[in-house]
Amino acid sequence: MTHANEHAHPVTSPKTYGLVLLALLVLTVITVQASYFDFGPWNTVVALIIASAKGSLVALFFMHLRHDKFNAVIFVGGLLFLAIFLIWTLFDISTRQTVLPSNLKTPVEEFPGAPLGGPVRPSTGQPRGMPAQ
Amino acid sequence: MSTAVPSAHAHAEGGHTPFLQHHFREMSQQFDAAKIGMWLFLVTEVLLFGGLFVGYGIMHARHPEAFMAAHHHLDKTMGALNTVVLLISSFTMVLSVWAAQTSRKKLLILFLLLTLACAGTFMVVKYFEYSHKFHEGLLPGKYYSHKGDTVPGQFLFFSFYFMMTGLHGIHVLLGMAAIAWLVWRAARGHFSSAYYAPVEITGLYWHLVDLIWIYLFPLMYLIS
Repeated sequence: MTHANEHAHPVTSPKTYGLVLLALLVLTVITVQASYFDFGPWNTVVALIIASAKGSLVALFFMHLRHDKFNAVIFVGGLLFLAIFLIWTLFDISTRQTVLPSNLKTPVEEFPGAPLGGPVRPSTGQPRGMPAQ
Repeated sequence: MSTAVPSAHAHAEGGHTPFLQHHFREMSQQFDAAKIGMWLFLVTEVLLFGGLFVGYGIMHARHPEAFMAAHHHLDKTMGALNTVVLLISSFTMVLSVWAAQTSRKKLLILFLLLTLACAGTFMVVKYFEYSHKFHEGLLPGKYYSHKGDTVPGQFLFFSFYFMMTGLHGIHVLLGMAAIAWLVWRAARGHFSSAYYAPVEITGLYWHLVDLIWIYLFPLMYLIS
């Protein structure tokens, strides 16, 4: 009897893993450097693209997905549902009217720094109406 | 090959390895089942963190100034250091899988210990970051008490910061426990090319923890 799994799961050499690590470190430097540039509304997109490149390297090489189609389908399926979750939520919030405090049924409890977009006392940064510190 | 009866002798003689559980036909079947189980679990983890990422996205879109101002309280250098430490730990973890696949017991233990050391370093850096924020009153929700803000609503950012990095930190701690268990088993000589499923699936879990941090780092530390 032979051990089927010795041949079914190819062994990747440490050298390949080393190169992948090097690529990941280079991409980390790139993403830190990119954060000093202003791409306007694309800042987050650029950061997420670089993160996804790093994530793909980790998934394909470290997690062996390039030799493992079956589990790759499971994983990508999960990501698909995450994408549906995210995109449908964005549809909702981008087409919804602003929630006004007057529409809320219960009063929002106040605490330092709480009122969002409310007027701020310039000297302390605390919201107006709060006792001075 | 063939549809051979899962021979009695494999059981009787203890076969090739004592680690084949009786409800599996052969080692490769057991190995694949373990891997599928881990991948399904990882998908639930992706969705768990996904909920937090979606919440973060919504609040960031609604209060960009607050998030922008709040993230300046984070130390980019610490974040980058932790990213590098975690990437290296993924590398040593995958090398321990390789060492197990090629039956190198000493290297397996060495790489597992290096992975543990990196994970420990990550948690120590996190400890310093957290204690700095506790000290400054940069806390979630109503516990936020930082003085002198010019932009209101920064507590929101820290709610997500502590929830997401905290949940991630718990995963790191659980991963460390799993790796320590692997060291214990490796020292007793359990793992070889014939049986290394626990090393492989713990590795998968560890890489997912790394993968989540890969997304957390730019979203928390590098907003611009």
